[in-house]
Order: sequence, then C-alpha cells, then structure tokens
Amino acid sequence: MSCGNVKVLEARAVSRTIRKKGTELTTVDSIDFSFHTGTVYNLVGPSGAGKTSFLRLLNRLDEPTSGEIFYRDKPLREYPPTGLRKKIAMLFQEPYLFEGSVRDNLNYCCPDKYANNIEFHLERAGLKPDMADKEVSGLSMGEKQRVAIARSLFQEPEIFLLDEPTSALDPTSSRKIEQLILKLSQELCLTAIMVTHNPDQARRLGGETLLLVQGKLIESGQTEQVLTEPSTELGRKYINNELS
Amino acid sequence: MIELGYYQALIGLVLVALAIVIARIKKIPTEKEMIVGTIRSFVQLIAVGYALEFIFNSESLWLIILAVVVMTVVGAYTAGQQDRHNKNGFRIALISMSTGSLVTLALMIVLGIITIEARYIIPLAGMLISNSMNASAVTLDRIGSDLKANRLEVETALSLGKNWQESTRRLYRNAVKAGMISILNYLKTVGIVALPGAMTGMILAGASPLKAVLIQIIVSYMLLSAVTITALLSGEMAIRRFFNDAEQFVG
Repeated sequence: MSCGNVKVLEARAVSRTIRKKGTELTTVDSIDFSFHTGTVYNLVGPSGAGKTSFLRLLNRLDEPTSGEIFYRDKPLREYPPTGLRKKIAMLFQEPYLFEGSVRDNLNYCCPDKYANNIEFHLERAGLKPDMADKEVSGLSMGEKQRVAIARSLFQEPEIFLLDEPTSALDPTSSRKIEQLILKLSQELCLTAIMVTHNPDQARRLGGETLLLVQGKLIESGQTEQVLTEPSTELGRKYINNELS
Repeated sequence: MIELGYYQALIGLVLVALAIVIARIKKIPTEKEMIVGTIRSFVQLIAVGYALEFIFNSESLWLIILAVVVMTVVGAYTAGQQDRHNKNGFRIALISMSTGSLVTLALMIVLGIITIEARYIIPLAGMLISNSMNASAVTLDRIGSDLKANRLEVETALSLGKNWQESTRRLYRNAVKAGMISILNYLKTVGIVALPGAMTGMILAGASPLKAVLIQIIVSYMLLSAVTITALLSGEMAIRRFFNDAEQFVG
C-alpha cells in the first residue's frame, strides 16, 4: 500500500522549559522536524536527552514553551485536544489497562463503534480472538502491551507515539511488538514515532532516526546512516557509548 | 431532674484527675495535653455558652449570620490546611462547605422543618459545618494523593481522547466516597453503637426519648445532604485545578 509520504506532523522551533527545584531546565531545545505518513521514526539519545519530553508535546499532553507543532498544516492548539489525541495516539512505557475485560478496554475509546469487530482488532494486534472476554489482570506484560496497542487502534489514529513500549518486555515479546509496529505502519500507513534507548532496536525498525542530546536534535536521517555514519561529534560519541 | 451549674461542672474535674492519675501510673506521656485540653475545653465552652446566650436573647438575624459565617470560615480554613497538594484548599473548602451547609439549612427552612431562630440555626449550622469540614478535608486530600499516584491511568485516558472529567471519573468517585464514609458509617450504626450527641443532650435536658429520636433522624438526614453536596463539590473543584483548558494534567 502506498502511503504517499505526505507530511502529517511538523515541529517548528519547538522548545520546552520546565522549572525543577527552583531552576529552569530546557528539556526540548528548538527542534525543527517534519514527520511523514507510513514512516517509522526512532527517537534515540542518552538518558535525559528530552526524547519523552518531545514525544509528549506531539499529542499535546504537554505544551511547548515556544515554537509551534502543526498537524496537517494546522497548529495543534487549533484542534480540540480530545479529538486531536484520537488522531495522534500514545502508548506508554508501562501499559495501563482499565479494570475489566479486554473487550471493555477496546471499547473504552468509542463504545459500540466496533462492538462486533473486537476479534478482528485483537487479531490485528497479534492476539487470539478468544481473549476478548479475558480479565486484563490475568494477562502477561506482552499481552497487555498488545491490548493497549489494539485499544489505541480503535481510535483510528494517523500517528502513533510510542514511549519505549518494549522496555518492560522480554526479548521475544519485544521483537513481536517491533514486528507489529512495522506491520501496522505499512498496512495502515501509520506514522510511528518511537522512543527507544536501544540503537539495535532502532536498526531493526529501520525508517528514520532522530538523535537528541540535551533537548537538541543533533542528527536525523535514515536510521542506518545516523547510527553508523553520524555527521556530528555528538553523534559519534553517542554511537561509541561515550554519552551518559 | 438534677440542676446543673458551675459546681457540678467543677466536680466533673474529679474524673479528669482520675484519668491523669491513671495515665501517670501507666507512664503514658499525655499529662500536659490532658490538663491543657481540659482547661481549653472549659474556657471555650463557657465562652460559647455566653455568646450563644447573648445571640439567643438578642434574636438578631445579623448576629446569627455572623456566627454562621465565623463557623464556616474557621471550618474551611481547617479543612484547607489539611490539603497538602494545593494552595487553593481554603477557597474550595469554603465554597463547597458553604454550599453544602446553606443549601441544606435553606431547604429545612423552606420545608418548614425549622424556623429562622438562633436556637435552631446555630446548633444545626454547627453540626452541618463540622461534618462538611471533615468531608471536604478528606476529599481534598484524597483527590490530590490519588491523582499523583495514578498519573499513568489519567494520562492513558487523556491519550485515548477523554476529557479531564472522564479521565478522572474513578478517582473522583473514590475520593467523594472517602469524604462521605464517616457519615455513611454513622448512619449505619446510629442508635446501635452510639447515641448521638444531640439526642443524648435532649434526653439529658429532660425531653422524651421519642422526641429526641425524631430530632436526631432529621439531623442525620440533614448531615447526609450537606456532606454529600460538600464532598461532590470539593472533589469536582479539587480535580479541576489539576487540569488546564487544553486537557493537560498539570498537577
């Protein structure tokens, strides 16, 4: 399926400064970048580089201090936040499932919209269709993350923000989630923007990679190029593990 | 019936002395607090007695209103002080407690249960405000601690396109229930575990037990109404201050 490589999300000179223990801290520093349909983007960088902080600005969970983010060429703040977040879905490091069954969770966003289609959505997220009525408390961490993915897909998002969704998973479950993200990105033309600490994971996902250091976008481009032939000193330090 | 006066009140100090002696024998370090508490309660209650006597005799509507306002402000300040999570606790407690108590009092007047007289308004307002104060304090504190402890749940819901009310519904309900738990337990056990103060006071003052019970039933329902309104409003306002217009959790 051709996704047309259309620009869906654009950050223009986006910064965010927070106050922590009385001092000002710039977590995101003048980032300019455009994200396109059907592409997987890896956000990499050392701890405290501002990856999650930047991700949270993209569906307006937080507000930039300066600069502007555009979704389909319109500033995010011109969309109703609730509608915007359905189109720009977010998956957290640790999946939170609401009390009840898998079906209850899938119906959470839009009850009755897909009431007869739960099994299809479960299969699409790599889960068995007969899991629909299983209580979420009995699921493994990998299953929980898949249910969280299926639940987000119910919103029919165009962009999927993923904040280290595999960090709490074992390597096998982690690979399955990676494959699922790739598949969804291709089949649904989803733009996936994923924070990862792991350069190997970024290589497996391919697509494009953004390297952030101290809130600044240091490198961006094809994943293989950024992670093997960085053009900056900080980029070289990152791939040589010289940045803490 | 025995006539009660200062002499009888002073004789009551024998009981205090007995409690202090027992505490000292058992080496429980409460002697100072017991003495201070005894003196404070004596002075406070005598002062209130004189103040009420004055207000009751004057029958001035303004004095009644002033007394209710003072009780409400002190109660709201106390409830607000217990909100460790936000500086606006006093304002929220004041609005929710005033609404809960005044709506209930107004309804009782409109329904003809009481008339606008100091001897009805002041004791009933006192009960309403003290119960509302506890409900507000518990709800405010619970909202703050639950929201901070359940940030992931709230932000997951926000990310699924829910607004702040929908994202916090479970936490809101739990906090309101916590604020009401004291009155709910009271309603379940009243007359079995304990005889309430108003009823006991009436019986001691010579009223028939059945009449005292009827008054207590009215008081119980009145407290339930005020506490419910106060807890609901405190919860709603307390949650709102954790979110901005962009449905962002800023707590």
